[in-house]
Amino acid sequence: MTDDTTPMTDGGTDEEARTDGGPPATVPPDDETPTWSERKERSQGLAQLTYQYFERSRREDENLRAESTYVERDVLGFPTWPHETIRNLAITSFFVGIIILIAAILPAHYGEPANPGATPGIILPDWYLYWSFGLLKLNPINPSLAVLDGNIAMSNEFLGITAHGIVFGTITLVPFLNKGGARRPVEQPFWAAVGVTGVVLSITLAALAIQNFFPISLDLLLTLTFMLPLAGGIITYAVLKTMREGYMYDLNRRYYMLRPPK
Amino acid sequence: MSLKKQDEMDHNAWLKKQDLTVIETAFLTTLIWLDKRLRIVDYLELLETMYYRANLQMPKSHTEQYDLDNKFWYWYPLYSLGSLSIIAYLVAAVSGALLGFYYSPSTAGAAAQGDPTAAYDSVVMIMTDVQFGFMLRSIHSWAAQFMVAAVFLHMLRVYFTGSYKEPREVNWILGVILIGLTLLFGFSGYVLPWKQLSFWAAQIGVEMALATPLVGEWAAQLMFGGFTLGQATLVRMYILHVFVLPFVVTGLVALHVGIVWVQGIAEPH
Ligand code: HEM
Repeated sequence: MTDDTTPMTDGGTDEEARTDGGPPATVPPDDETPTWSERKERSQGLAQLTYQYFERSRREDENLRAESTYVERDVLGFPTWPHETIRNLAITSFFVGIIILIAAILPAHYGEPANPGATPGIILPDWYLYWSFGLLKLNPINPSLAVLDGNIAMSNEFLGITAHGIVFGTITLVPFLNKGGARRPVEQPFWAAVGVTGVVLSITLAALAIQNFFPISLDLLLTLTFMLPLAGGIITYAVLKTMREGYMYDLNRRYYMLRPPK
Repeated sequence: MSLKKQDEMDHNAWLKKQDLTVIETAFLTTLIWLDKRLRIVDYLELLETMYYRANLQMPKSHTEQYDLDNKFWYWYPLYSLGSLSIIAYLVAAVSGALLGFYYSPSTAGAAAQGDPTAAYDSVVMIMTDVQFGFMLRSIHSWAAQFMVAAVFLHMLRVYFTGSYKEPREVNWILGVILIGLTLLFGFSGYVLPWKQLSFWAAQIGVEMALATPLVGEWAAQLMFGGFTLGQATLVRMYILHVFVLPFVVTGLVALHVGIVWVQGIAEPH
């Protein structure tokens, strides 16, 4: 375009690039952008703390990057096209196909119109809410307190709600109770056992919800609702604990030598 | 600047010099014609750059980096469960939008207790009169059930691979909210046809709400539009199902997947 080699953006030496009379049209060079520390000095209170932290965090980042032995290398993973794309298309078509197939062979059924005057013998939600419905049928274990003249401390409905709160609360707390770098169930038999207990409990609670379909006494069903998950958990724990010995030896040699546990 | 043709860039002359088949000639002629007008080359270059950015410099996978064997391969298919939840959600969204053309959220039309209401009749109409309607309702129902199943199994996969640990706690909590909302999606949808089981499922919902201390009555008002079920309940469930939840869940799923994008998948150690 032009044979003029003088940089025009910040030098401002090119006469033709000048605006009318004013100083050369420039953008502030990079070093005029305030640094974190400058911003930190200009601010106070919470903002200053924020900048202080940002500065540390960035320095930590830089240090980690400098120390890292992380290797970048040419293609070794699957390219997006065609491998990943075709695979995803295949999975998607298969899955949608299955949904349509099942919808065709097991069509959604329909029932009677709503009648506020007639309670049906069996009230059930869709199967995926059975566990929740089971939680509402825990009234036989609602503790009755002697102090209240044998009255129950909370209504049966409220017991159900509390149970829901406990379930969701426990699940939410998991990442804050189980910390550390371990990922495989064999590394932490206890937490794997907790997981299996939870899964089995969701199934037995669902069974409790459809208790009418089981030809066993309610007492037995209630006992099984809590004993089966416990049994599942204990078996999981025992199996994993046994597997651990041999397994961890291999794992330790290969993995923990590279990444010492915290 | 001169208007004279620049000869060294005479593409048509270059084209003639080549020994090309008819197809190649036609392709190149079209490409040159379009490129002269639309600068396609620029966009192709952009695409190419993006392609190489995405494909050529991949960091070593965790398994490679730490020289782990592939003991964990059998977990990998389970990593698609999150995506399967999204696919089922999309199928439900499309079929649901189509159902929405015919459904009417109204309890009008019942002369006596237990008579079919407008809502009930509109679902009957979908199943018997609308072309493909029976199938559509069936697909919607099954897509919803597949989504719940996929979300639950996805949660189990995340749990048993320990993927919820630092720094992914936030995504786990978001996930707990999402599974709750997914179940609420199912519940509100179950109420819409206003059949016997819909009504009594909602009845249990109201009773649950009312049994909660302090916020109970307020919650019953908000969710069910009162303490006894009726038109207000149906409309609230309808708005929840077709307006509120779709936006909230879509937004949260986007956030959830966005966080996975930023943090990367937690590969098994
Ligand atoms: C609407 C429901 C949900 C959708 C659409 C969804 C979608 C996804 C997707 C696509 C991923 C990427 C990895 C994968 O596919 O496995 C993911 C990862 C993740 N999800 Fe979900 N999810 C949902 C519910 C949940 C639930 C219920 C939880 C747990 C309570 C959860 C916790 C997580 C976590 C912690 C990750 C990161 C896992 C990793 O990095 O390996 N999500 N989610």
